[in-house]
Amino acid sequence: MNPPRPPTRPRSPRWNRAIQALLAAWLGLVLHLGPGSHAAEPTRGHWSFQPVQRPPTPPVQGRTWCRSPIDAFVLARLEREGLRPAPPADPATWLRRVTLDLTGLPPTPESMAAFLRDAAPGREARAVEALLASPAHGERWAQHWLDVVRYADTHGFEVNTERPSAWPYRDYVVRAIHDDVPYDRFMREQVCGDLLGEDAATGFLVTASVLLPGQVGKDEPSIRLARQDAIDEVVVNVSQAFLGLSIGCARCHDHKFDPVTQADYYAMQALVAGVEYEERDVRGPEADARRADADAIRQRLAQLLVQRTRLVPAVGSGTPRVAVNGRLNIERFTPVRARRVRFTIRETNSLEPCVDELEAWTPDDVNVAAASLGATAASDGDTVDPGRHELAHLHDGRYGNARSWMSGQKGRGRVVITFPREATIDRVVWGRDREGQYDDRLATSYVVEVADDAGAWRVVASSDDRDRYLAGTNASDPFSSRGLGPDDARIAMGLAAEKAALDARLRAAQSGQRAFVGWFRKPDRIRLLRRGDPEQPREDVGPGIPAVLGSLHLPTDATDAARRLALAQWLASPDNPLTARVMANRVWQGHFGAGLVATPSDLGTQGARPTHPELLDWLASELVRSGWSVRHLHRLIVLSATYAQSATGGDAGQPGAKPPPAHWLARFPSRRLEAEAIRDSLLHVSGRLNRERHGPGFDLFDLRGGLSGFKPVESFGPQGRRRMVYAHKVRRERDAVFGAFDCPDAGQSTERRRESVTAIQALNLFNSRFTSEEAHAMVTRLRKEAGPDPAAQVRHAWRLALSREPAPDEAAEAIAVAREHGLQPVCRALLNSSEFVFLP
Amino acid sequence: MNWNAGSPILSRHGRRLLDRRRFLSTASHALGSVAFASLLRQQGLLASGGASSPGPFNPRPPHVPPRARNVLVLFCAGAVSQLETWDYKPALIAQDGKPLEGGPPVTFQGPAGEIARPQYAFRPRGQTGKWVSDLLPHLAQLTDDIAFVHSLTSKSNTHGPAENFLSTGSVLDGFPSLGSWVTHALGTESQDLPAYVAIPDPRGVPQAGSNNWGPGFLPAVFQGTPMSAGAPPRNLAIPEGVTRGADDAARRLLRGMNERHLAAHPDDDRLAARIASYELAARMQLSVPGIMDLSSEPAHVLRMYGADDPRDPLKAAFARNCILARRLLERGVRFVQVFNGAYASGGELNWDGHNKLKEQYDRHGRILDQPAAALLRDLRQRGLLEDTLVVWCTEFGRMPMFQKGSQGRDHNPDGFTCWLAGAGVRPGVSHGATDDLGRRAVRDVATLYDFNATILHLLGLDHERLTFEHNGVQRRLTNVEGEVIRPILA
Repeated sequence: MNPPRPPTRPRSPRWNRAIQALLAAWLGLVLHLGPGSHAAEPTRGHWSFQPVQRPPTPPVQGRTWCRSPIDAFVLARLEREGLRPAPPADPATWLRRVTLDLTGLPPTPESMAAFLRDAAPGREARAVEALLASPAHGERWAQHWLDVVRYADTHGFEVNTERPSAWPYRDYVVRAIHDDVPYDRFMREQVCGDLLGEDAATGFLVTASVLLPGQVGKDEPSIRLARQDAIDEVVVNVSQAFLGLSIGCARCHDHKFDPVTQADYYAMQALVAGVEYEERDVRGPEADARRADADAIRQRLAQLLVQRTRLVPAVGSGTPRVAVNGRLNIERFTPVRARRVRFTIRETNSLEPCVDELEAWTPDDVNVAAASLGATAASDGDTVDPGRHELAHLHDGRYGNARSWMSGQKGRGRVVITFPREATIDRVVWGRDREGQYDDRLATSYVVEVADDAGAWRVVASSDDRDRYLAGTNASDPFSSRGLGPDDARIAMGLAAEKAALDARLRAAQSGQRAFVGWFRKPDRIRLLRRGDPEQPREDVGPGIPAVLGSLHLPTDATDAARRLALAQWLASPDNPLTARVMANRVWQGHFGAGLVATPSDLGTQGARPTHPELLDWLASELVRSGWSVRHLHRLIVLSATYAQSATGGDAGQPGAKPPPAHWLARFPSRRLEAEAIRDSLLHVSGRLNRERHGPGFDLFDLRGGLSGFKPVESFGPQGRRRMVYAHKVRRERDAVFGAFDCPDAGQSTERRRESVTAIQALNLFNSRFTSEEAHAMVTRLRKEAGPDPAAQVRHAWRLALSREPAPDEAAEAIAVAREHGLQPVCRALLNSSEFVFLP
Repeated sequence: MNWNAGSPILSRHGRRLLDRRRFLSTASHALGSVAFASLLRQQGLLASGGASSPGPFNPRPPHVPPRARNVLVLFCAGAVSQLETWDYKPALIAQDGKPLEGGPPVTFQGPAGEIARPQYAFRPRGQTGKWVSDLLPHLAQLTDDIAFVHSLTSKSNTHGPAENFLSTGSVLDGFPSLGSWVTHALGTESQDLPAYVAIPDPRGVPQAGSNNWGPGFLPAVFQGTPMSAGAPPRNLAIPEGVTRGADDAARRLLRGMNERHLAAHPDDDRLAARIASYELAARMQLSVPGIMDLSSEPAHVLRMYGADDPRDPLKAAFARNCILARRLLERGVRFVQVFNGAYASGGELNWDGHNKLKEQYDRHGRILDQPAAALLRDLRQRGLLEDTLVVWCTEFGRMPMFQKGSQGRDHNPDGFTCWLAGAGVRPGVSHGATDDLGRRAVRDVATLYDFNATILHLLGLDHERLTFEHNGVQRRLTNVEGEVIRPILA
């Protein structure tokens, strides 16, 4: 344990003292400090600001114990304390530990059996490779990062509305970890992925809660304060997540004695002062694939539509034609030679008529009215709204009100499209707004005429034989099957089915194309604010990094992109003393529950000192040396003798002796699993975990955002049985069952999960419908996989849930219960057991 | 807080037991520590009672002897107008309809209109002759017991952040609430009930939602448990389709498994705490339905609260919440927060009187007044006010002008009223003042940091010493601010 540190005082935080001291040393100056400060304390330079030096592995007596350099560092410390490491955990325990640790799920009985059967050397390494390669690894370790950046799918604050397109960032993190994207690249992409072809990564910049424009007061001070809060969150995220520094404090406290720090803070603000909390179109391999998919689907949908137009009743066929509607109207007639088509509007449902597209189709499905094929348009007068309503939009191949033609006259209008040459056509198709947003300005009475090269106009269709248009209705189905013969009806049904399937695919493909990953613009002017108060601006501050850490040499008028790029390059530089240390420490914490520095988001002077400084530096240098491969660190750590130790016994478990501090690692520090791992494991064991990856989150509540009344989903379908990292995360609303297991609410960054033990946890895990249903599912699974014999069922239950055989007395007890009450209570108890919810 | 410093009488194990850092890292203690706990109790280092199940809710002593042991918060969401309730400004009557000289042209929601008189008549009340409006006639009868702070200021003029600020000392989401800080510091006297209960209004939760009772970065165990007379806590019942016999069997089997597991890991106190947590859960399954069952309350009590009022079901529902609050305090629950008013809804569901202030306050006043006054009276009659601090609060106040074109007042964080009553509070005082029109606090200006520091002080907690480390910062409820408002202390 680290010595307790005094509370932050407004007038002399140690951070400032350290910076003062550093600067003093650096500049050869002595700053004058107020009374009560500790300026006399000699600080030659805080450890984490020094370059990472790769230390030699220390000499140890128990060399044979060591499997990797990591072990030498750990053992050296133990030997110094007169301790020996614990004996190694048995192989089954080790596999359960490493499987839960790397994937968040317990091993299956099959993988356990295969591992124990494997007699060839290097079976641990093989097991680890398989685990690291599994998608479950990315899903598990993404959560660690998402905790730090306080990722959520709602905006938080006031109305906590849904942020429906945040998830591409979550998926980016899952994929990046699965692909072992080098950590330097991972950092760069999150700061300026828009410049690196990974748009979704910049979701990092805008993960915080934010007030939506409508929630900010109309008065100027409110607007300024909201903007300050929004950029502050970006600075906090960058500095905590990557640098492990809490420089956010310098926004308002302490200024009296150390103006440097406040200037540093505002220089960081200036680096991200062009970031807006907004959606934008995203590129990147995933989004590009989705976009290409969407394009292909749209093309196919267009083909289907044209095919379907062949089946509508023809003009004058005697079969009634549906009333006009805003979306789409089809005029089918006997093939006719035509050079021109004329659309004359005699009446509208309101105002000047508007047509978003007019098409003329040949029997072999070519739209000869398309401008792209050389057709031209003329009219009797237009209402022009440049870019929106123009005559050229009548046949530009683009749909919707935003690309439409509007007549110059109320209630009437006329357009003529001339084809490049005479053609045979049998359909004219037109709409007011094919995107379905508008149904005003609709032509309700009209005539369609064609003329061939000879020039005589003849009527081919009109509204006269359509059903009467009723104001206020726009529900007519242009594809009504009324009057279709059986063959046509069958074709129509086939087309409708394919269209429905394509529509669903299109929605999915379109959903990843815009994402809440920030929007970039000209940076705000940033000024130093007295007491952090936007109403008390002082001097201008240009973009930069804390002076103690160097300089970016950015001009004060640098563009947003230049600023973020410079920040990204500096963060990801191998010379940055903080970033590799911070990440190596986070990885260590992920495996052992506590970091080598106990305050993983604060390696500053207020943070804890490292327990094994040389080991931390060795890991940091190893991270950089391996090309920033986080996976390399995982391998080194989980294959070490330190990690392989038993969680009990050894010198740490001597009866009567004081257990040594856990961070000395005289045994493996066991810990309770996180909320997500418990839920996922429950589903895994019951056999109902849905392994579908990526995409929009599933719902934990009946609402996806908002203020209150989040009714928890009690009983989940297959979507809700996906891994919890794919849950739609409502900020501030913890999951009704697993939230009590210290699941962060994404209000603030969570550098490390707390581990509480509460009665509410017990009530939830023991009595919830979730557990009950999974216990039932597990019973079904046991019956199916282990047959009718209770002893076999109990044995299988233990293998599934605890990765081991039951001890004879355990089995006897469980069988007795199963005989009297069935297997359900056995499963319910297993899923609640400490052994099930603890990392062994 | 660091209790182990300067306690040489403690053994190393005893210090370990009390070491806050370790305590919070595991958030629990082993049953095996009972012996130490009992030793400590003999030494007077633990409050009495509750040591049979040591844990995060064990009662713990504050920094100094407290004036109050429990807290009841009446939280009026939506920003109650100080000008229609506790802060009498006759100058508003004189200047009714005139523009506010030098006032802001635009306030939170838009252009400002003219000065508007109080929408309710004021009259002097009780021995002190304190002027209080007719909006809250029952509460007005209690003014002799109340210490008003008329000069409060907030850091935000937006409901959500301002509620965060009132409840957590930060406008941002994710900081620990007052109740979480208090239960983290003091534990609770009741080992069968949650230490901290938040009772949402029957109309819905306030704007900042559960952040008002969230643990922030404190261990989740210190989170407020939301429940109300109409909505008991979840998962208290045996799951559907499970017989009592099967439930007992599962419980026995689980206990056996967990005890064997503990035996294999004898020095892991978290495992012992898990066993204890299931026992407490079982006790809660028995105790909570009982406390939620108001049928044992006599008719005259229901009448006093207005819980039997058939004409106003919302008032009756709020009244039942008030009765529940008393029952919880009676059973030793440390911190009870009763919400009056829900989220922003054009003032329909809470005190956000932008448009039709009078019309809406007529309704909201009726819901709050009689039940809340009855709760205070009931606490006093039962002697609970000796130990219980009562806090009435709202996130900010309202402007002296009406908004342009409306019959309501806009947000005003620059001067508003909250009050304290009960244990340790000097009765019948009014501290601080706003200007003649109630626009800004001008005398003895106080912040919500000060208000919260005062609450902690009454509980024997020094707001500068009540800290928790998070992301490298020793966080406090009062950030780096806060001064106890001493003139309102008894």
